[in-house]
Amino acid sequence: MYLYLDRNTWVHRLHPLVRLFGMVAVFVAAYVVERPVWQLPIVAVLTALLVWTGAIANVYRLRYLFGIGFVMTLLIWTLFYGPDGDPPLLAVGPITVSHTSPVYALGMALKLNGFLAAGLLFLSVTRIEEFAYALSRVGLPYRVGFTMTMAFRLVPVFVDAAGTVIQAQRCRGLDFDRGGLWARARRYVPVIVPVVMGALRRADQMAMNLDARGFQASTPRTVLEPYVMRRGDVAVALLLIAGVVAYLILWWSGALTLRPRGLG
Amino acid sequence: MADAMIDRPVIALRDVCFTYRNASEPALRGVTLTVGRGEFVVVMGATGAGKSTLAKCLNCSIPQFHPGTLTGEIAVLGRSLAGATVSDLAGHVGLVSQDFDAQLFSTNVRQEVAFGMEQLGVARPIMQQRLIEALALVGLSGFEKRDPGTLSGGEKQRLAIAALLALEPAILVCDEPTTDLDPLGKAAIFEVLAALRRQGGTILLIEHETEAAEHADRLVLMADGRIVADGAPATLLRDVARLEQLGVRPLDLDRIGTTCGWPDRPDIDEAARRLSATPQIPARIASIASPDGARRAANDDSRENEPPLLTAEGVEFTYPSGQRALAGVSLTIRPGECLALIGQNGSGKTTLAKCLNGLLRPQRGAIRLRGVDLAAMRLDSVAADVGYVFQNPDHQIFADSVGEEVAFALRNFGIDPHAIASRTEVALAAVGLAGCESADPFLLGKGERQRLAVASFLALEPAVLILDEPTTGLDYPEQRRMMDLLARLHARGMTLIVITHTPWVVGHYAQRGILLENGHIVFDGPMRELFAREELLERCHFRVPDVTRLGHRLGFTPLTVDELLRVVRL
Repeated sequence: MYLYLDRNTWVHRLHPLVRLFGMVAVFVAAYVVERPVWQLPIVAVLTALLVWTGAIANVYRLRYLFGIGFVMTLLIWTLFYGPDGDPPLLAVGPITVSHTSPVYALGMALKLNGFLAAGLLFLSVTRIEEFAYALSRVGLPYRVGFTMTMAFRLVPVFVDAAGTVIQAQRCRGLDFDRGGLWARARRYVPVIVPVVMGALRRADQMAMNLDARGFQASTPRTVLEPYVMRRGDVAVALLLIAGVVAYLILWWSGALTLRPRGLG
Repeated sequence: MADAMIDRPVIALRDVCFTYRNASEPALRGVTLTVGRGEFVVVMGATGAGKSTLAKCLNCSIPQFHPGTLTGEIAVLGRSLAGATVSDLAGHVGLVSQDFDAQLFSTNVRQEVAFGMEQLGVARPIMQQRLIEALALVGLSGFEKRDPGTLSGGEKQRLAIAALLALEPAILVCDEPTTDLDPLGKAAIFEVLAALRRQGGTILLIEHETEAAEHADRLVLMADGRIVADGAPATLLRDVARLEQLGVRPLDLDRIGTTCGWPDRPDIDEAARRLSATPQIPARIASIASPDGARRAANDDSRENEPPLLTAEGVEFTYPSGQRALAGVSLTIRPGECLALIGQNGSGKTTLAKCLNGLLRPQRGAIRLRGVDLAAMRLDSVAADVGYVFQNPDHQIFADSVGEEVAFALRNFGIDPHAIASRTEVALAAVGLAGCESADPFLLGKGERQRLAVASFLALEPAVLILDEPTTGLDYPEQRRMMDLLARLHARGMTLIVITHTPWVVGHYAQRGILLENGHIVFDGPMRELFAREELLERCHFRVPDVTRLGHRLGFTPLTVDELLRVVRL
């Protein structure tokens, strides 16, 4: 139901702050890369971690998201990206594919999937309580951080509710596969209204129940299991810093970009 | 805070009135109530009597989360609640609500119980100790690492209670905590409350189940925002006429005792001893049981000649998670039958029902509607003939008006626009909502919304109507109204399949019972024969009504109190 996988791997045991930093580090490193070949080390590390932690099962669950995201990104950037002066590789009617665009598009597709995989890995190995704690350590007020992370917990609940509502409306003859795009979109109104109404009711009840458990209390919080930064955590954090710095140096040197920086 | 208040009432309300914002009528009208430390008070009354409003006043969610006009004095643990917030009362008043999912926020049981203690700054060693004690009290020791999302409804509710108990509240207020639970889950919650009471906890329990009041110190009856009775349950529960007037279902033994003129409230064994001491009773049992049995048997025989309406042949269904819900289910349903699907949660009732109307496709076996395999039919063509009313009407209601809500399905099935208005009118009249066409469905009460959901299927004139726990969350008068509606539909020839956990509903209305256990049908036959097998039903965590248990001690199987009273009064 949820993305979190209750395992006891070394990644799960990392300090929550290091896990959050790891995700951000991948985002930064992947972001500055244009050349697909430089995305490959990131992809390799992520794949290894996904397999090791068992989060690859979540990748499989969301395989359509990864697949559609990859193909659409590849397609759109191939067809519509073309730096000025780039010689054409292929021209079909009004569409011209430049020499650079397929490679650039592959880099973008790998970048997008890298973002997705890093986020998925983080959510697969991090409890929402740990996520909220990590956010509070980077300066976000605890209540704001907790409320943000609740969204991750509630999304599957609403997806479940939507599934039930769809079944209930299908029993009343609602056919989602009939008609054009607009007609189909309109048919989701009988699904959206009950789901939204239910979500509002649930949010209201949860707010009251959170308060009833002292969520707004002014007393200083304590924690059942304090998170201790160990030497292994520091080592991983240093490794991550080294990796990000290396990618930033490469980016600054122009090795990661398809053309020199600043030329558009 | 708590220690200083030993000699004072822990709850004191004086002349409390509350009107919700935008409401025309007050929800509470001059409520005065005191509860002493260690008391177990049960509050009962029909929907709209003001019970939940009263509960919400005790932890300040009224007026903080439900604004309105609040007057009068409310004191908890000797302190006035004027200006207090829900957060101020955390750790003093625990409020358990019906929706257990809305009370759980964490990713494992241990973290869930610790959540409130962390917010209130409880020291770690104390936190760990309380965590162990709270989980032990609710019977969830060993569940520490479980994801709350994977627990059963009853376990989730017990976890919600443990999370509150860990804060060591002086008062536990439970607002219909068992409504969405199966009999096993309900029993477990009542056991937890009994354990808490033995430890001296103060409990205010709001319930529709009258059985909950039997072991309370006090019973408070509410109607129309007022407390109309407050006293010993043994006294108030015997006033059968008044309970019915207030929308509270009287207990079977109290109805029998009142009719027989007993001055006290005997238990089942004593009641059986008294009844069997009456010389004529055994003879009457013999005379009444046979014709009744013969009538039902004749009824069944007449259907034997009719072609089946729905059949299931060796149906197997396994969810993608690997959970096997149906393991080779076969049954035949003939036109005009009224059958009850019973069994504990997870036994396969809902899965079977969804297979019967084509919502789920079995991996093995076949479902046939009038001999045609559902696998060869589109869902919409099945749905028009086999209606499925979901447990929660809020999963389907979306329209601006009651009339539109009913017309929605008719339009989807391409019914002639001229016929839509008349069919809508007829369906709404059948469920007692005639003239409500332009009303906003979201402003209807739960019982009315449930009947509206039924109307939206009735308009399609299906041959079969499947209802998933149609009485859940309804008070006794609404439960009666719903089941009487179904009885009328059945009398007109509609085939009904009702999933229910409510023993008296099964006894009153169903002719045939299908008992499921772990995806297998373990009994399929006349209701009376099923109720005769008390041990089998108990194994499946279904408790027959008290009147049936009493009848068994007398040597027959009455399904309703009226049946037994016919024997007693002959």
